[in-house]
Amino acid sequence: MATQISRGLWGFVLFFVFVVFFFFFFFQMESCALAQDGVQWHDLSSLLTSASQEPWRPLPASSLSRWPVCCLVLVPKMDFPSSLRPTLFMTGPLGLNDVSDLSFMCSWQNTLTLPEAQPQNLKNGALHVTKDLLWEPATPGPLPMLPPLVDPWEPGLTAQDLLFRGGYRYRRRPRVVLDVTEQISRFLWDHGDIAFAPLGKLMLENFKLVGAGSCTKKTTVVNVKKLLQDLGGHQPWGCPWAYLSNRQRRFSILGGPILGTSVASHLAELLHEELVLRWEQLLLDEACTGGALAWVPGRTPQFGQLVYPAGGALDRLHFQEVVLAPVDNPQFLGKPGRIQLQGPVRQVVTGTVQGETLLAVRSDYHCAVWKFGKQWQPALLQAMQVDKGATGISLSPHLPGELAICSRSGAVCLWSPENGLQQVYKDPETLVFRDSSSWRWADFTAHPRVLTVGDRTGVKMIDTQGPPGCGLLLFRVGAEASCQKGERVLLTQYLRQSSPECLPPTLHLVCTQFSLYLVDERLPLVPMLKWNHSLPSPILLAQLLPPPRPSCVQPLLLGCQAGQLQLLHLAGEGVSAPRLAGPPQSLPSRTDSLPAFPLLEPKIQWRLQERLKAPTIGLATVVPPLPSASTPGLVVFQLSEAGDVFYQQLRPQANSSPRRDARPPGNTRPDCHAPTASWTPQDTAGCSQWLKALLKVPLAPPVWTAPTFNHHHPLGSIELQREEGAVQQLGVLREAMAQGRLLLQRDLGSLPMAEPPPAPESGPADELSERLGEAWVGRGAVWWERRQQARTSGPKRQPRRPKRRTQLSGTFSFSGHADPSDGTSPPHSPEGPSAGALPQSPMTSPSQELTPDAWAQGIPSERQQTLRDYMAKVPLQRDTPGHAGTPPSSQTSSTRATRSRQHTPILSGSKPPRKKPRMGF
Amino acid sequence: MSDFSEELKGPVTDDEQVETSVLSGAGMHFPWLQTCIETVAIGGKRKKAFAQTTSACLSFIEEALLKHQWQQAAEYMYSYFQTLEDSDTYKRQAAPEIIWKLGSEILFYHPKSNVETFNTFADRMKNIGIMNYLKISLQHALYLLHHGMLEDAKRNLSEAETWRHGEKTSSREILINLIQAYKGLLQYYTWSKKKRELSELDKDDYAYSAVAQDVFNHSWKTSVNISALIKIPGVWDPFVKSYVEMLEFYGDRDGAQEVLTNYAYDEKFPSNPNAHIYLYNFLKRQKAPRSKLISVLKILYQIVPSHKLMLEFHTLLRKSEKEEHHKLGLEVLFGVLDFAGCTKNITAWKYLAKYLKKTLMGNHLVWVQEEWNSRKNWWPSFHFSYFWAKSDWKEDTALACEKAFVAGLLLGKGCRYFRYILKQDHQILGKKIKRMKRSVKKYSIVNPRL
Repeated sequence: MATQISRGLWGFVLFFVFVVFFFFFFFQMESCALAQDGVQWHDLSSLLTSASQEPWRPLPASSLSRWPVCCLVLVPKMDFPSSLRPTLFMTGPLGLNDVSDLSFMCSWQNTLTLPEAQPQNLKNGALHVTKDLLWEPATPGPLPMLPPLVDPWEPGLTAQDLLFRGGYRYRRRPRVVLDVTEQISRFLWDHGDIAFAPLGKLMLENFKLVGAGSCTKKTTVVNVKKLLQDLGGHQPWGCPWAYLSNRQRRFSILGGPILGTSVASHLAELLHEELVLRWEQLLLDEACTGGALAWVPGRTPQFGQLVYPAGGALDRLHFQEVVLAPVDNPQFLGKPGRIQLQGPVRQVVTGTVQGETLLAVRSDYHCAVWKFGKQWQPALLQAMQVDKGATGISLSPHLPGELAICSRSGAVCLWSPENGLQQVYKDPETLVFRDSSSWRWADFTAHPRVLTVGDRTGVKMIDTQGPPGCGLLLFRVGAEASCQKGERVLLTQYLRQSSPECLPPTLHLVCTQFSLYLVDERLPLVPMLKWNHSLPSPILLAQLLPPPRPSCVQPLLLGCQAGQLQLLHLAGEGVSAPRLAGPPQSLPSRTDSLPAFPLLEPKIQWRLQERLKAPTIGLATVVPPLPSASTPGLVVFQLSEAGDVFYQQLRPQANSSPRRDARPPGNTRPDCHAPTASWTPQDTAGCSQWLKALLKVPLAPPVWTAPTFNHHHPLGSIELQREEGAVQQLGVLREAMAQGRLLLQRDLGSLPMAEPPPAPESGPADELSERLGEAWVGRGAVWWERRQQARTSGPKRQPRRPKRRTQLSGTFSFSGHADPSDGTSPPHSPEGPSAGALPQSPMTSPSQELTPDAWAQGIPSERQQTLRDYMAKVPLQRDTPGHAGTPPSSQTSSTRATRSRQHTPILSGSKPPRKKPRMGF
Repeated sequence: MSDFSEELKGPVTDDEQVETSVLSGAGMHFPWLQTCIETVAIGGKRKKAFAQTTSACLSFIEEALLKHQWQQAAEYMYSYFQTLEDSDTYKRQAAPEIIWKLGSEILFYHPKSNVETFNTFADRMKNIGIMNYLKISLQHALYLLHHGMLEDAKRNLSEAETWRHGEKTSSREILINLIQAYKGLLQYYTWSKKKRELSELDKDDYAYSAVAQDVFNHSWKTSVNISALIKIPGVWDPFVKSYVEMLEFYGDRDGAQEVLTNYAYDEKFPSNPNAHIYLYNFLKRQKAPRSKLISVLKILYQIVPSHKLMLEFHTLLRKSEKEEHHKLGLEVLFGVLDFAGCTKNITAWKYLAKYLKKTLMGNHLVWVQEEWNSRKNWWPSFHFSYFWAKSDWKEDTALACEKAFVAGLLLGKGCRYFRYILKQDHQILGKKIKRMKRSVKKYSIVNPRL
């Protein structure tokens, strides 16, 4: 019965916590919403308050005139493949079509094509598979491009923070249990004042708990101030010494049902919702879909600008000029130009159409578009506010300045310099089936007036000039593409062609968690290519690169949130259907470049690792110019969430020319390619320089620190006070111990709570070192003299041997050198400051008395002798008992005997009176 | 909007029920969730050593494959076979498929592997993963086909065709159909080879009759093999193509036409442009009347307005007597030039320039205006910008001239593109440009007849 009651009381305390928490939450959210409304990006002047107006210098073109600027525009091939890969077509929901999926489950299958009518062509090599098409990284991992930013960075939430630990049971479909209680308790510990104060303040006025007027005011009205006072010594949940006052009990019984249930459940819901949101964000952060890093080509191919967000909140847009040397690593030039924005940048897109270079930027609630002028200086064209939140932005590859924006409300808007903003599509529902995600995406197609609209369930083509609401499904998460259960679209992209290309300009890339699809807009619903990527994190970045040589194999670079990069080779020359030209390849991620950094102490190493592991939020690739006919390389830039820009140079492997696969495999093929890249001293030097700069960056102040319970700490302060003579607190302590209750803070009066935790106890000032020190300065004899005197003048201690000790050798040795061996046993006088005046403590406490024996017993007698002699030589005796009361000396005394029980002297010091009778035996 | 969700089907197991209740039915499946939870909940410790080693081995293999280290992957693969003895039945059942997937990929790319090794591996895997017998057989056959071993592939498929195990399911039936169709395709290959031999032989040759006999014997087998599959909805281009060719050879034109019509017009099939192209080509070969050809191409025009056959369609329409066809002819040309991939198609521009002039001369200004109305706000910047004028003139003066003429007709003589081309003096094209100027003055739809 009693336990039930107490359980109920604890329940109330939790309720109380909930109530307060709810209020806090509510206010917090309100203020957030207000702040959001306050943001106005229409004000263009505020937009362009550049932190430092770096001039956009005209590029020095004189030295680089030998690079010809060739602008080859070939006629894109619009031929439809004459014969498509056989596929079963089945309409229906997900997970229905397992036949065609499984019959094409191997990636090498995608490289095969069915021969045309002449089977002999096979032998002649009409179809070639580039078996060892491989890009060789110049270094084993990407290298830092720019010095780290000065803003501190924190890795943010991890799964450890959100998930309930323990109670794990293996399931095929994993079950997620969010740890709500821990989050609440963390919050309470962290922001106790915020959590408890507002409600307390609200109720600071007396309030009535019982409506009936029969009782007097005294019994029905509770002052919350007192209630809060009671909570002042509140012990954590689960503590056996948790204490509830009468007042609290009453309040819980009366107020619980009124304040508790509805509010608490509401709060729990809110918290759970928030946690679910965070957890989903952790699993898939859709905000940076598309990537926030872009390359703006300069006037000559050597120069260009990297555009990326920087700053702790990613709200500063940087324009960093970069030189691409043909042989050397890319280098940055000068300081970046900056534009301060009023929100985190999520996506940066650039495009050059008809000689005009444009830059579009998406923030959470705003979009803006810049145009690069003659001096390669960006000039703002338009800034737009998206009320529901923008999820995607894309620039038209056909018409200069045209831009598609999609918002969470399901609307797609088209902006052009001439016509301004116009809404071309609106559908709050998802396309194929109902899905809770509000993520939308819009991109262009080969027809300048047709857009694709994508969401998690499919991709649709809409004609912006046609009647609203009509369209054609391009891709559908269902049996048509033989999707698995639970499969959703993560990324959809129009594979725009910016160079002499080989693939038709009608292909769209659709990525899901499991697979990658290439869909041709001329044949909707049936993917031309499906490949299981089996990447361990969501694909949010993709880029189609120009072919390294006119071999009609185009690399497609895929970037994962967790940093993995993969390179696919797409071929689709002439009238053959697009296919994979070779096995996919993985590129080194940032964590692979850890060996380039110097060896570090674990803590910094860990910090560096965290930094390198930061999610990738941007990807850009450049083909650097090359002097002669040698094959062009590739530079991949990566942007991490911490704001670091890394680069990696890639070169096509020498023997990767697309060979005719005439002979059966395995004739004269070279053996496996061993990774040949290694770190050059230059690279490692660059890395260590970067690291040095990183270490100068201050760490972010911890948001929350775990409460530590250190009983040394309060007791230490007690002792300090004892030194001052405040003995009355000891009485309180003693009383508390006698009653078996917890020592509350109010019992001890004002404790210096803000005192830093006790430093590791300094090693006892042992006399050996003291003696050595004296000897060093040549006063060894004097010191010894003084020691002897002090000992003789000190309280005469009877050289008493324990009765049990009967061994002759032991007796002998002890009697000979009585003083030192005895000295080890009485640690200190148990008395307070007055103990110095009491010489009557020759006896040791029973436990301590054992110690000399303890070490002696396990040792053979001959060795004991030598040991004792040694002990005698080393005067372990500490100072006079007169000083024994002070804490440092009391610890000095226990060099050997009580080392392992350092706190005991303090406790034993608190009960001398009871000890006395026992000692006097 | 259909509101079916994939959770509707099948009995709800304990796992699924819990899953849907926890994360408010998000329905999305994350492949990386399992590892995420495991690292938190158990710190990767409580797993059995066996499971640990196999999963580590699998990740090593995948990594080696992605780095193209085939030899290393093969060595890891050797150790990975232990997963076949996993005590977890689910994993044990999934293992053969994974092994086949990885193993075949290694053997496909490994520099020292050869067909014999692959054959041995495939034969063994067929019997280990008995449930995947058909799929592995099919892929094995494709591998052999790719390496030019038609006979082996055919034998392989015949074996698979007659394989029976357990109960018959619909998916397996489709697979068997697919296998049969591939077999038919292989037979078609040998048939077409023989046919070519036959065409090379003299009719009086003694071997002629034997080969001819062979050719004729093949026909009925193939038709049986392929015809079953192409009734199932799907994209069966190679099968349909070869089947139709054989039918045509044996004079079964009606049968061929029926097959093609079904393939093109069946509602259940995806709207495959190739189906219409095959039908059109077939009808053209059969010298079908123009109206029939036009009706086929009309549908293709609706599916793929950018197809290169559209220019052929235009000429057909131009030659037609009907007025509406003439109008459609203009529409088709405009439609082709809408697409980004066709902007440099000089034939299309030439056709358009000629046809525009003809239409305007024929007093059909309304047609042009109708087409132009939906394009006038974006064609100028898409086709007739100053940038394009410069670059077109530099690359292809003929194209620039055609475009300039169209620009002049549509936008008037004040158009920048037109003016730019006009200003360039070119010796050869000078005359043409002058003529163009005159026509523009006369027929431009801007300020007509002023």
